[in-house]
Amino acid sequence: MTAMSDHTSKTAERRMLLVGDTTLDPVARLLERSSDAPKLQCSVAPYGQIYQVLLDSGNPAWAFKPDYLMVWTAPHLTLPSVGKLMHFDFEATHDAALREAEQFTDAVLQAARRASLVLVPTWILPSHERWVQTLAWRHGVGLTNLLARINLLVAEKFAGQSNIVLLDAGYWQTSLGRPAQDPRMYAVAKILYSQAFFEKAATEIKAVLRGSMGQGKKVIVCDLDNTLWGGVAADDGPHAIKLGAPDAVGECFQTFQTALKGLRSRGILLAICSKNDEKFALSVIEEHPAMVLRKSDFVAWRINWRDKAENLLGLAEELNLGLDSFVFLDDSPEEREQVRQILPQVYTPNLPTSPSDLAPFVSSLTCFETPSIGREDLERTSMYQAERDRKETLELSSNIDDWLRSLRIEVRAAPLCRESLSRAAQLLNKTNQFNLSLRRMDENSFWDWAAQPGNAAYVFHVSDRFGDFGLTGLASLSLLGAEARIVDFVMSCRVMGKKVEEALLDYTVAQAQAGGANRITAPPVEGPRNAPARDFFASKFASGDLATIDPTRVAAPSLINLKEEG
Amino acid sequence: MDDLIAILNEIRPGQDFSKADDFFAQGVLDSLDLTALVAALESRYGVFMGVDEIVGDNFRNLAAIKAILARHGVTV
Repeated sequence: MTAMSDHTSKTAERRMLLVGDTTLDPVARLLERSSDAPKLQCSVAPYGQIYQVLLDSGNPAWAFKPDYLMVWTAPHLTLPSVGKLMHFDFEATHDAALREAEQFTDAVLQAARRASLVLVPTWILPSHERWVQTLAWRHGVGLTNLLARINLLVAEKFAGQSNIVLLDAGYWQTSLGRPAQDPRMYAVAKILYSQAFFEKAATEIKAVLRGSMGQGKKVIVCDLDNTLWGGVAADDGPHAIKLGAPDAVGECFQTFQTALKGLRSRGILLAICSKNDEKFALSVIEEHPAMVLRKSDFVAWRINWRDKAENLLGLAEELNLGLDSFVFLDDSPEEREQVRQILPQVYTPNLPTSPSDLAPFVSSLTCFETPSIGREDLERTSMYQAERDRKETLELSSNIDDWLRSLRIEVRAAPLCRESLSRAAQLLNKTNQFNLSLRRMDENSFWDWAAQPGNAAYVFHVSDRFGDFGLTGLASLSLLGAEARIVDFVMSCRVMGKKVEEALLDYTVAQAQAGGANRITAPPVEGPRNAPARDFFASKFASGDLATIDPTRVAAPSLINLKEEG
Repeated sequence: MDDLIAILNEIRPGQDFSKADDFFAQGVLDSLDLTALVAALESRYGVFMGVDEIVGDNFRNLAAIKAILARHGVTV
């Protein structure tokens, strides 16, 4: 499996093999030519050889050594019973179609061992195909009913396999608003889908791939006036802003806030950047009866009369997140243009001018894609708020160590397990600053690596009296005889500055020594942002050495309670 | 004509379309690029190509594309 990439993973090219029962070259070319990350090199397997390619690891198509496999089939072409039923040949039954669907999924499951990620668009019918509408959904009879059943069967079969993603081609078709197929191109060159459909597919495929690489955006920064509500609160008065019933425009802004609140609930951080008086604006947010979002939904704000780009920089610093993970929503074209010029790494989309389009616009954004939603995501906003509380107590402490001691930090170490794998892989792939070797691996590949003899991976949960930071540390070892190499050493930025890394290293070194190592190395990889990790390890190396750890320099701080579990 | 070249360059960046006599023979375009080309022309000029018109001859070079667009009432 070719899942590893170096620290330039954002720009490194990935390889995708496309397999289909129609001509897929147009979408392969769109994927290659698109400037959206990740950069792709594509190879299209010979037309109409689905099973030959999926079932035979020796098939020449695999010589391309792809990272990704895409299996894009049309149900009426690859499942003979569906094709027959579409043309009213009732010799074909639903049961026969379900068996053919199962045969298909078995073949995909076999091929899934040869790629780090497999993408399978769900089955759709041609947009023009009405069949017989009165009967289309009749259980056991109708074509649409059958389509739903075969798609559900596929979803069930792939449920245990985390490296197969079923792509929602039905969504592509519905949101396109025009025919997904082009019968002319099918007649000319067996190209089943329209160019517009391929373009939609290519955009969504890239979004899913970015999500799988942990490149989804993390923060939405919103303006207030005419963005979260209609009108200008300071000018019109807080009671005259358009928000909520009975005004239709007010309803639209409320619906927009609901959409944003949904994103916040699943782990996207919300922040404010508005030109207003801070106390006044926050009072509107806390007191207006129709506000859906309240102060507690936002992790940070810059409400002042300063330049917005400057404020965004301040927010990035406060949240300790890169500006390339920011989305900026502002109704003012001038403000947007200024931010685009000064901070091009911030995603600053144009907002629809009609308030009714704001919620649909947010729902259709592709930049927040993620392969999983877990406890860490659901609690992210409250974790940031706990951090604000911690910072407040820092202001009251006389020195750092007293403050840290007052936090009563606890670190729980445990070996990597199936339950922690998803979050551990997320940490590995998303962490840029406190990351020693910047290895990027998907879940399955990391698990397989850790399972090899001589390798081990540990995860660390960190909490203090204000709350739980969650799984925020990851370390891996590779033991060969009496030498151990620390391969991965990753710590989330949310626990930086608390000496947690000292406890993590202490535990990791202890594991290496318990495994029989008398020499422990930690070769750093130089990346653009991982100076924090490199500097930390540099202080732990024996004098004059660039990679060997001096165990006398390693000790968990007494103010941290380090526990072992599992 | 510049519009046409821009459309073609989006499909195949970096190729020289202004001089080529025969895109397909010279490897500047291939038949699988036709979907993209037809879609772009239809979208840009508001025309609709019949299935019998989607043949290599009609898109072989700039003059041919100009001619088929003219047949649909569009002058480039």
